[in-house]
Amino acid sequence: MVLSHEFKVLLEREPKFIDIMCSLEATARQPKGIINETKEVVAIARKFNDEVVRPYALELDRLRTEDPEFLPWEFVKKANEWGFYTMWIPKIFGGKGYCMPSMSYFIEEIGSACLAMANLIGVHYLGFATLTATWNMRLVNRLAREVAKGEKTGAPCLISLAITEPGAGTDVEEIDLIDKGKITCHAGKVKGGYVVNGSKVFISNGHISAWHMLIAYSDLKRPSDTPVVLAVPTGAKGFSFGRQEHKMGQKGCPASELIFEDCFIPDELVAMDDEQCRGLSRKTREATMQVIDYVVSVTRAGVGAFGTGVARGAFEEALKFAGETEVDGKLLINHEWAQCMLAEMYKNVTIARLCYVETNYANGMYGFFKTLQMKPMYYCAKMLPKFYIDLVIAPLMSKHFMTKLMRKIGLDGQKDEEIHRTSGWASIAKVVGTDAGIRNCQLALEMMGQAGLRQDRVAEKHLRDSKLLQIYEGTNQLNRLNIFKCLIARSCPQAVVFDE
Amino acid sequence: MLTYTNPELKPFEELAGQFARNELASGREEHDNYPFGPFFHGVLARAHEAGFLGIILPEHQGGIGQGTGALCVILDSISRADASLAGILFTTALAQQILMEAGAFDAIRTITGGASKAEEALIAFPAFANPSELAPSVFAKNEEGRYTLFGTCDYLVLGGLARYGLIPARVHGRKGYSFFIVDLAAPGVTKSGPVVSLGFHACPAVDVKIRDVDGTIAGSEGDGAVLFERAAEKMHIAAAAIACGIMKGSFVEALSYAKERFQGGREIVKWSEVRMILANMAVKVDVADMTLAGACRAAEEKHPGWETKSRAVAIRIQDDACELTTDGIQVLGGYGYMKDYGQEKRFRDAKQVQALLGMAPMKKLKYFEKVAE
Ligand SMILES: Cc1cc2nc3c(=O)[nH]c(=O)nc-3n(C[C@H](O)[C@H](O)[C@H](O)COP(=O)(O)OP(=O)(O)OC[C@H]3O[C@@H](n4cnc5c(N)ncnc54)[C@H](O)[C@@H]3O)c2cc1C
Repeated sequence: MVLSHEFKVLLEREPKFIDIMCSLEATARQPKGIINETKEVVAIARKFNDEVVRPYALELDRLRTEDPEFLPWEFVKKANEWGFYTMWIPKIFGGKGYCMPSMSYFIEEIGSACLAMANLIGVHYLGFATLTATWNMRLVNRLAREVAKGEKTGAPCLISLAITEPGAGTDVEEIDLIDKGKITCHAGKVKGGYVVNGSKVFISNGHISAWHMLIAYSDLKRPSDTPVVLAVPTGAKGFSFGRQEHKMGQKGCPASELIFEDCFIPDELVAMDDEQCRGLSRKTREATMQVIDYVVSVTRAGVGAFGTGVARGAFEEALKFAGETEVDGKLLINHEWAQCMLAEMYKNVTIARLCYVETNYANGMYGFFKTLQMKPMYYCAKMLPKFYIDLVIAPLMSKHFMTKLMRKIGLDGQKDEEIHRTSGWASIAKVVGTDAGIRNCQLALEMMGQAGLRQDRVAEKHLRDSKLLQIYEGTNQLNRLNIFKCLIARSCPQAVVFDE
Repeated sequence: MLTYTNPELKPFEELAGQFARNELASGREEHDNYPFGPFFHGVLARAHEAGFLGIILPEHQGGIGQGTGALCVILDSISRADASLAGILFTTALAQQILMEAGAFDAIRTITGGASKAEEALIAFPAFANPSELAPSVFAKNEEGRYTLFGTCDYLVLGGLARYGLIPARVHGRKGYSFFIVDLAAPGVTKSGPVVSLGFHACPAVDVKIRDVDGTIAGSEGDGAVLFERAAEKMHIAAAAIACGIMKGSFVEALSYAKERFQGGREIVKWSEVRMILANMAVKVDVADMTLAGACRAAEEKHPGWETKSRAVAIRIQDDACELTTDGIQVLGGYGYMKDYGQEKRFRDAKQVQALLGMAPMKKLKYFEKVAE
């Protein structure tokens, strides 16, 4: 019926088969072990919710309302004890090496009980993902092992990501905008390192992180060509914390201002800069956008999972309320309109989940997770004995050629269309998940009436918490534009994005 | 628009607008800290002096004898700056309206007439519930005309501030419920601390336990639902006025921010997607303003069917306020999520307003019941 030469052409037609069927392509190829690992992670998260998150979520929200300077160490230490800060760090770097996609299911679970706490865990991996996306294996190895040490000693070692500036939020997320933005965080090259001046705002986990992945620029007139990714330790001379923001929700998770005044960062803490980009097939500007896309393809899917989680949390509160409250003489759950409303909420959760799952598949096939999810790599990483890792693999990681090799595989090995596919899907997951979060919280409150307004009934906290999801990791507007840029614009060559 | 269709309301708009600017705007963040910061007793006292606690009461009852229009103009103007105070005025006005519907003028006189302080003029009321939807858990025993109450009343708005509360209770052996005036300082009344809530922080509520406390019936046994619905007809519009004020505040803040914030080398208002969001907000504001004015006029002039149509107006405005204030934060990006700007508070307050007078979906069904009649 279809001739063989037509086959490819037909599937290449928009929407391209390969773009819309990531899961179909991926399921056969992914290692089976991922399924059991994911089940395990979900079970752990549910237990943690029962034992730690739910009993403490409202109190933490309240404590931070009463005293916005209060820091959530108690929770962070608990999460550290449970091993969550190394759970998704590969074993070769001293972590537990759970497969990366399982983190989104974990985050959905925790987010369904408390988004702030999910953030206190998840943001650490935003920092770690940024570091990993530079493929600077020496630095990845160093910081990851510090995180693992922090777990053993009971002194949590978290990593934050600092990119947003007071005058540039959307602009720093998009290479086509950044040169037009008011960028002020400068990293000046000096002998032996960089000197940083400027500030970053809204940095999640700032005050409680030991390391900060800082994106500064060596030429403020051409930031797109001159980004510098630095690992800044808390306590570095010239680096201090400014104010903690007073937020509407996700109060348990601090958002901090980071201030840099002649802060010297030695070369050994430079994760990536123009010089290190030399030798890559893409120019610095494109490589920069690739690294941004690399990170956000994972983290935006993560925010989609946060959204799914809070949408589910709101649904669960509404369901509980409907099952125990009489309205107009009968249980609310037995009003047909309420059943449809609950079904609508359930549907929103399901669609949101499908979107982040599909993005995970895309990342496994074409993006961040690809290397670790290839069957030989996956099983090798699982089975290598610890002594072998410590004796043979870890020292290798400090070698320059490893960084070069991994950059070749990870960055040069990724095609432009693959960047677009993963980034586009991540934006879909982010927008769908976070819109579902807000929508379900709104519906839950409508359904619960007066009870929904009370902090002690949790739903109102979900609503306050969820609004942030539509803003960070690029506003939903930016993400819609990114969907257009990555998945739609190519079918209309005359389309220009970010330049109307 | 309200004052355009009825110029007599202009002085109220000016008075309330001035009050909002002078008393509310600058202290908004601080007032919103309650119950983790002080309550704005001073502001409340001045609202009392301005007559805002007796807008709909006849002059001989200690009020200023105005109708729904004036109430709405004042609530709208105040809510642009800080809807919490509007919540206080609304709750008291709702209780007063029910008392008036019940013909309980003596009770009103006792409460407002003897009030030297603002707090004494307040009447606590569970303003976020329609007692027909969630049956009251306070019960009343009638012993030879003397009513003794016991049970719990959750989320009694102003219960921690007011001397008197108007409490729905079920009379033993009777269908439906009735309203009772209860002295909240009486022994046997136990109040929780302020309930921590989504919005309206400075319009606080408490949970109340009542144990063998005397209550004075307002109206007669079993007529609570009728009184509530009659009062609600007018008060739905007032709730919409609060939502409308919140919308205006959110839009003005978003527009002025968008004109000043630069991203991508230009004021964000110049990005057409931002303009689209602002356009949608503006449409909602203008529709709310026009329909609110129409509803007030219809109510005051008693147009046929005003009771039903004004419910529709209120439902639409309250829904729109929730959507609009979400966008109101979005336009400010991360800054919109912070306490420093009023946007996050407006978002919370709008959702709170949607729950006034009962559950939003039930209000829709009630409205439809009337349409279908
Ligand atoms: C609580 C919190 C935690 C955060 N955590 C972190 C963190 O850990 N690390 C970090 O680096 N950052 C973090 N952020 C920053 C976050 O990513 C930014 O807030 C977000 O990217 C938006 O930037 P902005 O706030 O400057 O808004 P702006 O960029 O100023 O945007 C304002 C409005 O303009 C719109 N807009 C801007 N440009 C355009 C355009 N070109 N076209 C159309 N519309 C446009 C936006 O969509 C938005 O509606 C956090 C923010 C918050 C609030």
